[in-house]
Amino acid sequence: MLNIKLNPETNIYEPETKTRHRVATALLIVVFFILPFVLAHLGRTGVYWIWVTTEIIIMSLFAMSLNLILGFGGMVSFGHAAFFGVGAYTVALLMKKAAAPLLLALAAAPLMAAVAAVIIGWFCVRLTGLYFSILTLAFSQLLYMVAFQWYTFTGGDDGLHGVPRPDFLSPTNFYLFCLVIFLICVWLMRMLVNSSFGLTIRTIRENMDRAKFIGVNVRFYQWLNFIIAGAFAGLAGGLFAQLNRFAQTEFLHWSRSAEPILASLVGGMYSLMGPTVGSAFLMCLRIVLQQAHKGLVEYWAIILGLILLVMVLFAPGGLIGLVQKIIKKKNG
Amino acid sequence: MSIEYFVFMTINGLSQGMLLFIIASGLSLVFGVLRVINFAHGSLYMIGAFLAFSISSLVSGGSLFNFLLLLLVVPPAIAILGFILEISLFRRVYRQEHLLQLLLTYALVLILDDLVRIVWGGNPRNVPRPEILAGSVDIFGLALPTYNVFIMFMGPVIALGLWWLLHRTRAGNLIRAAVTFPDTLGALGVNVSWVMTSTFMLGCWLAGLGGVLMAALANIDLGIGMEKIIESFAVVVIGGLGSIGGALLGSLIIGLGVTFFQLPLGRWALVFPYVIMALVLIWRPWGFFGKPER
Amino acid sequence: MKSKSKMKMTVLFSLLLLSFILVANQAAAETIKLGFIADVSGIGATFFKSQKAGIDLFIEEVNAAGGILGKKLELVVRDAQLKPDIGANMARELILSEKCDFLIGPTSSAVALAVTKVALEYKKIIYFHTSNAEALTTTDFQPFMFQVVPNTGIEGRGMAVALAGRQAQNYGYIGPDYAYGHDQYNAFVKKMAELKPEAKIVETVWVKLGETNYSPFIPTLMAKNPEAVFSSFWGGGLSTFIKQAKPYGLFKKATFSGLFDLDLLRATGNDMPEGLVGYARCPFYAVNTPEMKAFVQKYYGKNKEYPADWAIMAYDGMIALTEAVKKAGTTDSEKVVKVLDGLKFKSLRGDLFIRPEDHMANVGIYVGVTTKDAKYKDHLIMKDVVAIPAEKVMLSVDEVKKLRAGKK
Repeated sequence: MLNIKLNPETNIYEPETKTRHRVATALLIVVFFILPFVLAHLGRTGVYWIWVTTEIIIMSLFAMSLNLILGFGGMVSFGHAAFFGVGAYTVALLMKKAAAPLLLALAAAPLMAAVAAVIIGWFCVRLTGLYFSILTLAFSQLLYMVAFQWYTFTGGDDGLHGVPRPDFLSPTNFYLFCLVIFLICVWLMRMLVNSSFGLTIRTIRENMDRAKFIGVNVRFYQWLNFIIAGAFAGLAGGLFAQLNRFAQTEFLHWSRSAEPILASLVGGMYSLMGPTVGSAFLMCLRIVLQQAHKGLVEYWAIILGLILLVMVLFAPGGLIGLVQKIIKKKNG
Repeated sequence: MSIEYFVFMTINGLSQGMLLFIIASGLSLVFGVLRVINFAHGSLYMIGAFLAFSISSLVSGGSLFNFLLLLLVVPPAIAILGFILEISLFRRVYRQEHLLQLLLTYALVLILDDLVRIVWGGNPRNVPRPEILAGSVDIFGLALPTYNVFIMFMGPVIALGLWWLLHRTRAGNLIRAAVTFPDTLGALGVNVSWVMTSTFMLGCWLAGLGGVLMAALANIDLGIGMEKIIESFAVVVIGGLGSIGGALLGSLIIGLGVTFFQLPLGRWALVFPYVIMALVLIWRPWGFFGKPER
Repeated sequence: MKSKSKMKMTVLFSLLLLSFILVANQAAAETIKLGFIADVSGIGATFFKSQKAGIDLFIEEVNAAGGILGKKLELVVRDAQLKPDIGANMARELILSEKCDFLIGPTSSAVALAVTKVALEYKKIIYFHTSNAEALTTTDFQPFMFQVVPNTGIEGRGMAVALAGRQAQNYGYIGPDYAYGHDQYNAFVKKMAELKPEAKIVETVWVKLGETNYSPFIPTLMAKNPEAVFSSFWGGGLSTFIKQAKPYGLFKKATFSGLFDLDLLRATGNDMPEGLVGYARCPFYAVNTPEMKAFVQKYYGKNKEYPADWAIMAYDGMIALTEAVKKAGTTDSEKVVKVLDGLKFKSLRGDLFIRPEDHMANVGIYVGVTTKDAKYKDHLIMKDVVAIPAEKVMLSVDEVKKLRAGKK
């Protein structure tokens, strides 16, 4: 199904054992744990950057969740925002209307998203290719319209605002909280894609007919993958609702579904961390442009469109793919 | 509901559906031949609408002549824009996986929509209706805007024109052949990429036409492209990707459905297009008039 | 090989982050920064133009006279695009990154409800001059905001007063499907039931905010033959609606009423039917204070057009804000807020006062009938304008407290 096959030399799903790699990873994690304390010394600007990095962490999680089905499963979903939105609304509704504690609400978010994914996925995995994409789009728009029209429950176009936040969650603490959840999720996803389940999913992506032929229940595996991806997206949505302290119909809109796809494409959809690199790159770029010159951010959509265009035409492997290509060339 | 209102609302619903048909048929046609779902179709439609606004404010006044001028000038202009996009961008991704195709067209949405904002700004605009269409028609003592009735008749005219073009001309034969047997067509010495370019231009022409008609029906702003592309998706999916007859049926279902479900369902009527879109995809993914793939 | 590159990437990434922070941490100049979260495009576009012209004029005058507390005023504008989530993000960015001292509110009430929470979070004063959901002063009240625009409750109840007097039994309603529309509708229905128990609401049509095509909705509104129709559409949405509804004969069959501010009247031009009952928030042609006369003259001189309601209210808000800052002798929002409680100030609309309990200025609405006027060739205005004072239709302090308690 996909034109770009994994190069065995640069296959980075392989469990990494090199100590240097581990040191680098550990260093990176330590940097991220120290970051908010450094930022906190910078006054209002620091608070703003803590907020931005928290947002990056959450959106990275969202992008990675999509990539489970997009990059690893080869299923192009244009409706992943549905699960993000369901997670966000779950947290907002539970905390605002039922005064539920944060952890309970955050646990319910992936659960509700998974329930939605069970139903939506059951129908969607019956279709392949373009039809799969359109059906996911249709379902997410359906949920969007329901959230929009159900004024008394979801607040309709106004959204749900003023989601309460526990007092101990200062910007720094919330950042750390999200970082820990993010790392746990990365660890889980890493185990998942390296497990036999992950291998099966990739086999299906590479050649669905062959997978069927050797007796793999393709639909079931895809369905399961769809549900897992939905649950992670729901968690990201829940965190996002807590960060912004609101849930909004826009969270369910199809243009929101495009964001993790862009992040995956830009970062590289054939690696675990690619979407994270992609969303961090795009979000930082946007803010840098804004800081560099106020006028530039006015043209953000055009800049994003051009980046996307260039990636599609010249580097469909994303930034990570590009780096790998360069390294490979250097090594001959 | 009295019978008068029934007729009244039917005509009103039909006119909404027909406008949708003109736009969606372009999307469907392009998909049929190029196998690309063009997200940017809505943006092209929006550019058409704004271009119509610019030209009409240049020539000023709502005379019939000016309106005809718009109908003659704007759709070909959008077709030319389509020509440029096709040979410079779309052509490069025909053989790619459909994710990259979708993303390419999505990139175009971002770029084109923002260009519209930069060129025309955020103000809502419109085109004056020509005097002859500005009034209203009496139907059983109920007034209906003449312009809506005009659009209702434009739909079938375009549908017939497309049918004639596809089934009674050589160009049409080639397009239909390109839908079913692209490889055979190439082997027979036909320049297939030319057929694709022309089809894409025809699709854009329809988007431009829809834009002109919309600019005089309602206000146009930066959101109309995104809104119509999703409605058009619903239409095309219901009728079957690539089928013009299907697009006609889909437009009628959605136009009439939204109109009539509003009385009992109120605001929930707007959910209807997505429900029926999902149902059709589940029950018959290739739509009413489409053919199953492979 | 790849671990080396990863190491490099780590270092690079840390450096990048550091450089952003340095870039972002440039010291602010000695001005009073005002962050305007505006709805720049779409149906709010014309309002924005007027709002900004009003604020610009104020800033120009104040800066020419030496500023406030010796500091010049500076305006930073962000587009919320009528979307609450974007508005909230913009507000955060304005406070934290742009280091604005005060915020100026948007057009959309939904955006306002989102933004007011951000203002509270960072304890910065925001004032609302156009967005006017009553909830801002009741259930969603927070002390760091004040409102100089008649709110949805005042408008809805005021219009019920105006329309209850008409010869009609069956009323219809059509409006945008968000906070503003719903608040206004609820206030209207409640007051109408009080004033005229025999009145019936035969049809209620909700349309997405920002919709440009009303043809699918107009027949539904007319299906049950309402004799009078109240609408909460506004701005570009309302002028579009009027143009599209005219050929359906809606205005011949029913008394139509809505918010006929100057920008709307200008946008609708001579397509506006005569004899519609409307209201405005501050029509300059019907307010006769010397301040207003001076303002209109200056505004006309600068912009070559008359000030719409939005310019006037945005300007009034600036008066109140700067009065409070001067009295408090500081730009620290937490101190300025204390002065705002019960602040009396001289607005273009006459003497106003900000109620300490809900920070609502006592502003009413102006009801009139559309008519052609020789003085204004390109558009209609309203004649026989009657002011409905706030005191008559405003929520009492007890009602406000009750609503707030009910929420918790």
